[in-house]
Amino acid sequence: MKKRLGAAILILFIALSTVLAACGSDKNENASKGNEGSASPGASAPASAGTGDDAGGKDAEPFTVSLRHIQIGEAQKFRKAILDDVVKKTEAEVPGLKFELDGVEDQVNRFTKLPAEMAAGNPPKIFDLFGGAGDALKYAKAGRLLDVTPIIEELGIADKFLNLSQFTLDGRVYGLPIGGSTEGFFYNIPMFEKYGIKVPTTLEELEAAAETLKQNGITPFAMGSKAAWVPLMMVNTLIGRYAGPEAIDGFPAGTHAWNSPEVTAAFAKYEEWVKKGYFTKGELGLEYADMLNQFVTGKAGMMFDGSWRASVFKDPSQAGELTGQVGFFPMPPVPGGKGDQTYVNGNYSNGYGFSADLNERELTAVKAFIKNMYNEEMQLRGLLEDGVLPSMKLSGDALGKVEDPLVKQIMETMRRAGGAFSHFDSTVHSEVYKESEAQIQRLIAGRATAAEVTEALQKIQEIANANQ
Amino acid sequence: MKHPMRNPWIYTLFTVPTLLLYGMFFLWPMLSSAYYAFTDWNGLENYRYVGWSNFAAAFGDPDFRRAIVNNLIFIGFSIFVQIPLIVLFALLIASVRRLRGFYKTTVFVPSIVSTSVIGILWGFIYEPEVGPLNRLLALFGAGPVYWLAEPKWALPAVLIANAWQWMGFYIVLVLAAILAIPRELHEAAVVDGANGWQRELNITVPLIMPLISVVVMLSIAGGMRVVDIVLVMTKGGPVGATEVMASYMVNEAMGINPNYGFGTAIALIIFAFALLLTSLYQLTFGRRTEGGYF
Repeated sequence: MKKRLGAAILILFIALSTVLAACGSDKNENASKGNEGSASPGASAPASAGTGDDAGGKDAEPFTVSLRHIQIGEAQKFRKAILDDVVKKTEAEVPGLKFELDGVEDQVNRFTKLPAEMAAGNPPKIFDLFGGAGDALKYAKAGRLLDVTPIIEELGIADKFLNLSQFTLDGRVYGLPIGGSTEGFFYNIPMFEKYGIKVPTTLEELEAAAETLKQNGITPFAMGSKAAWVPLMMVNTLIGRYAGPEAIDGFPAGTHAWNSPEVTAAFAKYEEWVKKGYFTKGELGLEYADMLNQFVTGKAGMMFDGSWRASVFKDPSQAGELTGQVGFFPMPPVPGGKGDQTYVNGNYSNGYGFSADLNERELTAVKAFIKNMYNEEMQLRGLLEDGVLPSMKLSGDALGKVEDPLVKQIMETMRRAGGAFSHFDSTVHSEVYKESEAQIQRLIAGRATAAEVTEALQKIQEIANANQ
Repeated sequence: MKHPMRNPWIYTLFTVPTLLLYGMFFLWPMLSSAYYAFTDWNGLENYRYVGWSNFAAAFGDPDFRRAIVNNLIFIGFSIFVQIPLIVLFALLIASVRRLRGFYKTTVFVPSIVSTSVIGILWGFIYEPEVGPLNRLLALFGAGPVYWLAEPKWALPAVLIANAWQWMGFYIVLVLAAILAIPRELHEAAVVDGANGWQRELNITVPLIMPLISVVVMLSIAGGMRVVDIVLVMTKGGPVGATEVMASYMVNEAMGINPNYGFGTAIALIIFAFALLLTSLYQLTFGRRTEGGYF
């Protein structure tokens, strides 16, 4: 009897210890993995090894650095090739380094995956990051981002960047833009010629062009507004025109109100175009990629998009018959618009950020990555191969190498502009931006008027400003 | 102490590991996360206790109220449209002799296909310009319908895709119950002069009632937590037309301006609703159909 009891307890004890041992060994494993990275001073050179000149030897213990990028899909292949080269070069320079590439779709990364990882405190070591109040600055405030100021100073590139404002918090830099962009109209040159449409330089001409296309059974503006940021690109520039370039920064500062007549006029113009049927039918069910399809297949004559799309139109496998047949023009001035009407949208907001949680070897890898990614050669490659405007100052020689007429046109547009205003998604609070996404879709669906939309936005903006 | 296994302490001792694991992996995470429902935690910054305001905000938001209605529509659709169809198909398949296995397999296939695939598949079917559905409608002169882009069509479109995915699973369940009914009952009814329709209605259906009751309950629970098909097909759009509580939760807790506190509150509300509805069903209709041999 006693024996049985004893046996029972023994079994229980064994069972328990097995469970605990399983947990325990797991932990040990993790710990040893962590050690692999951090405590192998023999192989890893001090932080200055970032330049790779004093490589610590070929027998260095291998270590991996996670790298999240958004260069997936056909339209991103040029940018991915650049990234791959940087990865290869950096791996060759840093002994033992192996990058673990993780490609995630832009919106999923920006709005789902990265925020969750930031909350849990385990973002990848290097990741695609957007600047602005809702992304980089928020994470920087929470202490999740690596302060790259000393690194770019050490590498001597701190003053090479055209604009780091969207990554700068209290004078420290927390991320580096990979390129610049402007948003404007791409148009189908043969189609414009066929219908005798001149490149619009005034709003009336733009609307006349839209009307002509519509009369001929062609959608004037390709659109895919299932993701609301797509229509908001055009709205943003309309706000810049009607309410002036300062409005974009003025909303969070409290100097400009959404429900002012000027901002409402911008939304009203958009609403008018929706009502006139200038956008793709069924746009609320179409993705961003569908918008490009509409344009490339000639179903739509114009497309308001970012300059990053330029590379598509020199690639026959993506643009088909439209290869080399696409032009670009900025949003024309609007009658009665406030401020300088030659301003264009200009963003230096997408780039890479780095986890604050890096051990010495990982830091070495990050430094080498920055050195190899942010230099004149790669910036020029981005411009020539991918049509992405540089985020760093390039010499006149380098810029002279641009041959793609579309990219030239885009650069000329920026050169002629009186200045640039950013996108409000990087200036306003995230709750306001979120509301703007909901409201623009209501506007498109005919569920809200421009005035109702701006009223609702102002309400959220005031609450956000008060909480600041 | 002749039989140690009858000693309550030994019992306790044996259940301790399980209870510990259960507590560690279910109770503790649930309770500790429930706490966040009363905070304004955004995942990054410091949070503060906000009382019931997350719950008040949820019920004060017309989008959330609409999501609740949409969930109820999902439940209603599955009970009043899907289940009668499920029973009908099961009866039909049960009454064929040839190729029964083939039918059984074909109806079951959608339920083993990933929801993402189903969403994309139906996305093609609903495609406004080249999708087969609109081309079929065009044969009758109907103009293109923007199934997933027009608020009034999006919900029915998602409901149908969802029904298509899950019906097969339940058909196979019901079919098994039908086939388990002893043949003698039917034979006796034939002797009494009952025709096929009468036999199905008066013998088969009452005998599978317990299973149908379970299917109803699963449908209620499924309708409360439906989310994947919505996220894949419409992300809750257009303009919230297909938003259900769980997709609302995903969009609020994550995405732009994440608010985990608010998201947790929504999760608790969904939990409470599901509990309420299933227990209501159990206490009313469910109880009547208990028993039988299921």
